[in-house]
Amino acid sequence: MTKLSVHELSKDLRAAIVNLESTEGLASVGVVVRVGDGVAWVHGLHDAGYSEVLQIETANGIVEAFALNLMEDEIGAVLLGTDGEVSAGSTVRLKGTSLQVPVGPELLGRVVDPLGRPLDGAGPIKTKEFGLVERESIGVMGRKSVHEPLMTGIMSIDAMFPIGRGQRELIIGDRQTGKTALAIDTMINQAKQKTGVVNVYVAIGQKLSKVARLVDRLKAEGVMDQTIVVATSPSDPASLLYLAPYAATAMGEYFRDNKQHALMIYDDLTKHAVAYRQMSLLLRRPPGREAFPGDVFYLHSRLLERSAKLSDELGAGSLTALPIIETQAGDISAYIPTNVISITDGQIFLETDLFYQGIRPAISAGLSVSRVGGAAQTKAIKSVSGNLKLGLSQFRELASFAQFGSDLDAATKSQIERGQRLTELLKQPQYKPASIWEQVASIYAVTNGLFDEVQPAHIKDAQAALLTRLWADNKKDMQELDKGDKPSEAQTKAIEKVAKIVSKGFEGK
Amino acid sequence: MAIRLSRRKITSYIAGELAAGKETTLLINQLAAFLIDSRRTKELELVVRDIEYELKNQGIVLARVTSAFDLATATQTAITHLIKEHTNAQTIELRQFIDPTVLGGVKIDLPGLQMDTTIGHRLTTLRTNLKK
Repeated sequence: MTKLSVHELSKDLRAAIVNLESTEGLASVGVVVRVGDGVAWVHGLHDAGYSEVLQIETANGIVEAFALNLMEDEIGAVLLGTDGEVSAGSTVRLKGTSLQVPVGPELLGRVVDPLGRPLDGAGPIKTKEFGLVERESIGVMGRKSVHEPLMTGIMSIDAMFPIGRGQRELIIGDRQTGKTALAIDTMINQAKQKTGVVNVYVAIGQKLSKVARLVDRLKAEGVMDQTIVVATSPSDPASLLYLAPYAATAMGEYFRDNKQHALMIYDDLTKHAVAYRQMSLLLRRPPGREAFPGDVFYLHSRLLERSAKLSDELGAGSLTALPIIETQAGDISAYIPTNVISITDGQIFLETDLFYQGIRPAISAGLSVSRVGGAAQTKAIKSVSGNLKLGLSQFRELASFAQFGSDLDAATKSQIERGQRLTELLKQPQYKPASIWEQVASIYAVTNGLFDEVQPAHIKDAQAALLTRLWADNKKDMQELDKGDKPSEAQTKAIEKVAKIVSKGFEGK
Repeated sequence: MAIRLSRRKITSYIAGELAAGKETTLLINQLAAFLIDSRRTKELELVVRDIEYELKNQGIVLARVTSAFDLATATQTAITHLIKEHTNAQTIELRQFIDPTVLGGVKIDLPGLQMDTTIGHRLTTLRTNLKK
C-alpha cells in the first residue's frame, strides 16, 4: 500500500485551488431543457459554435458535451459521458474551445480512450501538446504524391497491391475473414523492418477482451513501443465511438507534422457509421438511405482526407490510413462500403470462400486494387511481381474452366500448375510478415519456373528451405537486396542456384 | 386548419405588450389560455425564458441575485451598476434570493448571461478538476 503523505496532499490541493479559474464578468449561459439517450437539449447559448465544448454543471461536478445541432432556439449537444448526472435545469457554459486531445510521443505504448484518458492503468499521461479532434485536412500545395513504400510484409499485398506512405487503402470483407489480422501484421512489420513508422490502432466499439488480446500480442512482438491504441467498447456512449477515429487521427497527425511517418488503422468504420447514425437519429436529423443521415459520406471523407504525404516544405511526413469495413455476405455494393471504396485509394477485398479453402490471407486478386501504390513499390519487388496479378487472375479463370474438361493443352496445363504454385506461395501464416529479400527470392523462384518440379503441396517447404539456405550462403547479397533496389545479376544468379538445388530435393515427392 | 404560431412570435408579442406597460395579469391570463388551448403547456418554461430574452433586447433586464446572506444596499447598487454597464439596459429589476448552499459570494443570473462567484461553484470546479 502506498503511504499517504499529508504534506503532498495539501500541496496538490493548494495547487488545484490556485489553478481554479476565476469567473470574472458575465459569461454566456444556457440551460438544459431536456436530456436523454446521451443527448442534452440546451436553450440559450446563441453564440455557441459547431463542435464547441459545453460544460454542464451538475451536483457531482462538470460534465462535458459538444454541440452538434445548432438550431434557432436550441442546441443539441452530445454528452461525453453518461447522462445520469445531467438533469433538466442544469446550467450550461461554453468552454471556449473545440474538442482537443493530448498528442505527442508520451502516448506511445499506451492504451487510451478517445479523450486521451489512460485505460491501461499505467499512470497519468502528461503531454506537452494538444491536438484538435476536428481539423481541416492539408491543402493541395501542402501535399506530395505518394512515392515511398509502406511495406506490409504480406507478400500478396506488397507484390500485387502495394501501399505507399500517405495512401488510404481500405481493407474490406465479411466477418472472420482476417481483416484485423492483415492490419496487425502490417503493424508488426513496421517494428520488424525497423521502418520507424508509428502505429495508431483505433478500436471502434470492439470487445475489450479483443483489444486486450491485441495489446498482449503487440507487446509480445515488440511493437507496442511504437504504437498508440485508442479503444472504445460497445458499452461506451455513441459519442465516444463517433469521436474515436478523429481523436486518433489528431494523435497520428502529430507525428505526420513532425517529419515522421504514422500508420492509422480504423477498426472498423462500419461500426463508426452505425454510432453516427444512432447519434443523428437521437438528434432528430432526417434519416436517409439505410437510416443513415445525409452527411454520412462527409463523415468518412473528412476523416480519411487527413491522411496525406506532406510536401518537403512541410517536413515530408506522412499519415497512411488502413480503414476497415465489414460487409454482409460479401456485398460490397452496400451504402457504407461503396462510400468508403470511393473515398480511398484502393481496397483489399477478403473473400470468405478463399478463407475456408485455406487460402490465407484470403485476398481476392480480382476485386482488390491499389490506385496509387504502384509508384511507391520497391524496385526489388516490382522487378519480380510484374505479371503476378494477371497470372493469378488468369489461373483462377482457367482453373474453373478446366473443371469441365480433362484434355488440356500443354500451355494451359502449365499455366494452371504455375497458378497453383503461386497460390500456395502467397499463403502466409499470421504474425509472420516477410522482409523484402524473402519476398523477392520466393516470388522469383516460382514465377521463373525454378520450382516447376516441386508439387504445389510442398511449395511452402521448398520456400522455407530456399530462404534458410540463401541466408546461410549469401547473407551479404540478401542484406543488400533487402534495401529494395533492383536485384543485381549476382543476386538473381544466387537465387537461381540455390532454388535449383532446393528444387532437386523435392523432386518425386 | 389554423397556422401554428411560432414561440418567437408569441414571446415577442408578450414582451412588446409588457414593455408598452399593458396590465400584467391580463397578459398572463391570455398567454395561459393560449397555451392550454393550443396544447403547448410544455413550452411554458421556454416561453418565459424567451420573454426574458426579448425584454432584455428592449432594454428591460430581469436579474436574479443569489447569495448566502442578505446583501447590503451598497452591494445591490454596485450589482445594478454592473448590469447596466454590461447590458445597456434602461430598466433593471433585481430579485434577491437567499440560498445557504452557495456558502459565500454572489451569483447573478440575467437572461442568457451569468456571473457566478460563489464558493459553491468554485468547489464544483475544484471537484471536477480533481476527478480528472
